[in-house]
Amino acid sequence: MSSAAVSVRSLTKIYPLPFRRGQVRAVRDLNLEIDPGQVYGLLGPNGSGKSTTLKTILGLVWPSSGETRIFGKSSREVASRAEVGFLPENPYFYKYLTAEETLRFFGRLSGLDRKSLPRRIDELLGIVGLTAARKRRLATYSKGMLQRIGLAQAMIHNPRLLVLDEPTAGVDPVGSREICNLILSLKSQGITVLLSSHLLAQAQEICDRVAILAEGILVREGRLEDLISRANQTDVVVENASTEMLSALDDVVNRHGGRLVAHRKSTRTLEELFLEATGGGTEPK
Amino acid sequence: MNKSISVPEKVSSAEQATTGAASGGSSQAALPGSRAIHHRRFSPRRILAIGTNTLTELTRLKVFYFLLFFGMLLIGGSVFLARFSFQQEFQILKDISLGAMSIFSSLLAVIATARLIPQDIEDRTIYSILAKPVPRFEYLLGRLGGVLLLLALTMAAMSVLFLLVLYTREQAVLRETAAQMTNLPADQLNQALQSVRASALNADLFPAIAIIYLKACLLASLTLFVSTFASTNIFTVIVMVFVYFIGHLQATAREYWLHQHGADWITQLFLAVVALVFPDLQAFNLVDEAVLGNVIPIGLFLRIASLGVFYMAVYIALSVVVFSGKEL
Repeated sequence: MSSAAVSVRSLTKIYPLPFRRGQVRAVRDLNLEIDPGQVYGLLGPNGSGKSTTLKTILGLVWPSSGETRIFGKSSREVASRAEVGFLPENPYFYKYLTAEETLRFFGRLSGLDRKSLPRRIDELLGIVGLTAARKRRLATYSKGMLQRIGLAQAMIHNPRLLVLDEPTAGVDPVGSREICNLILSLKSQGITVLLSSHLLAQAQEICDRVAILAEGILVREGRLEDLISRANQTDVVVENASTEMLSALDDVVNRHGGRLVAHRKSTRTLEELFLEATGGGTEPK
Repeated sequence: MNKSISVPEKVSSAEQATTGAASGGSSQAALPGSRAIHHRRFSPRRILAIGTNTLTELTRLKVFYFLLFFGMLLIGGSVFLARFSFQQEFQILKDISLGAMSIFSSLLAVIATARLIPQDIEDRTIYSILAKPVPRFEYLLGRLGGVLLLLALTMAAMSVLFLLVLYTREQAVLRETAAQMTNLPADQLNQALQSVRASALNADLFPAIAIIYLKACLLASLTLFVSTFASTNIFTVIVMVFVYFIGHLQATAREYWLHQHGADWITQLFLAVVALVFPDLQAFNLVDEAVLGNVIPIGLFLRIASLGVFYMAVYIALSVVVFSGKEL
C-alpha cells in the first residue's frame, strides 16, 4: 500500500452535458503523488481541472476512470476523510450560526467528544483571530473572516491532511500573509497541505512541489526549485555595492568565462511594501 | 481582541485529549499531538448534530413563524365561530382545528424540506459537511430528522392550543348546562353533562392528531426524495403540490375508475403503480371520524400508521440511493 498522503492514479473525469449534447473532459489521465508533510500546490487557469481533482480526492465526485487515495484509503470510502480538513473556495457556512456554534457543529461531525471540543474551539478561534467575534453570527462576517472560520473548521479535528481550495481568495494582503504563515507553521508540524491557487507568487513562497494543469492535463510537475530555477544562472545580491565594485565584479565574471546578465537595484515585493505601509493591517471586527 | 491569525508554536492541549480512539493506524509516523479519531461507519451523534442544526436553521426562518402563527390563529379563532348547539360547536371547533393542523403541518413539511438540499448545494455548505467523515445517508437522515423534530414541536404547540380551547369551551358549556338544568332530576342532569363531555374532549382525538403528524412526516420524506434530484426548491415545491392533490384525489378516482371500467389486470396494475408512486393521502384522514366523535379502532390506527411508516421507509431508501450517486 502506498505511503503517500494523496495519490491520484490515471484520473480521468468526464462530465456529460445535459440532453446528450456531448461531454466535457475536466481531467485527463492525471497522476500525482503527494508525500506526507509536503505543501503541494495545484496550479492552473480557470477550468483547468483543479477543483474537480480536489473534489474527486474528497469523494464529492466520482472518477470516470482511475482512482484517488488518501493515506492509502480509497476516496470512495467515507473513512478516508477522517483525517482530512477541507476549505472550499469562497466558503459559505450556515449564516444563522455563530463562529462558536459553527466549530461545534463541524467538531461533532468530525467525531470530537464533548470534553475536548470546547477547548479545541477556544484554541482555534485564537489561532484564526476570531475570539472576539465568536458570538457573532456568520451573516455579519466579512469575506476574510469567513475564510478564517473556514480554516478553523478544516482544522477542528487536527487532520493530517489539509485540502485548501483557493485559501487566500478574497482575503486582503495582511490576511493572506497570515494564512501563508499558518500553512508554513502547519507544515512544520508535519501536516500535509494540498492547495489550489491562482496566486503564483504565494504558491512559489509556500509550496514544496507544484503541479500545473491546463485543460485538465498535467503539463508540469515537480519540486518547485527544480521547476523554476535556471540551471546556468546564479543570483548574487550585494549590499552597499559601489560602481567600482560592480565593475570589478563584471571583470571577475568575464575572466572566469561567465557573463553578467544584469545588475539592477534590489527591490522588495509590492506585498512587503503594502504590509509596511499599512502597519500590518487589521481585520475589521 | 484577537486581530489576526496567530501561528501556533506547538500543538494544542485539546489535541492531546483523545476521544476514546486508537491513534494512528496509518503508515505515517504519528505527528506531534496528532491523533486519529476513530471513524464509525454509523454514528447517531453525527445524525443528531445535523438534525439539531437543521432544527436551528428552520426555527430561524420567518416562514416557520408565519405558518405557526396562522395555524394558531385559526385554531384560536374557531371558538368565535357561529354555533347553534354544543354538539355543532364542538364539531366545528374540532373540524377547523384539526383541519388547520393538517394543512399547516403539511405545508411546513414541504416548504421546510424542499429548501434543505438545494440550498446546501447552492451555498456549497454541503462540501464542508461531506468532506468530513459523514456518510451521505447520515446527512439525509439528519436533515430529515431536523424537519421531523420541527413538525413535532409545531404539532405539539398547535395541539396544546387546540386542547386548551376545547377544554375551556367544554367547561363553559358544562357550567351553562348545569345552570339551565338545575330543576331537572340528578340522573337527567348527569346524562346531559355526560353528553357534553362525550362530544368535546375525548381520547380519540389523539390518534387523529398522531396520524396528522405522520402524514406530515410522510410528505417531508417524499419532499426529501424529490429534492435529491431537483436543482431548485421551487421545482420541489411544485412537484409536491401536484403530489399532494393527486394523493388526496386518487382514492376517489380509483373507486370511480374501478366502478366504470371494471377491475381487469391492466387497470389494477396501473392503479397499483399510481398508489405506489403517489401515497394515498386520503387514507391518512381520521379527522372526520374524530370530529364526529366516533371511536377510532386501534387496529385501524395501527394499519394506517404502518402504511405511513412503510411509505416513509421507501422514500428515505430512494433518497439515499439517488443522493449517494449524486455528484456535487
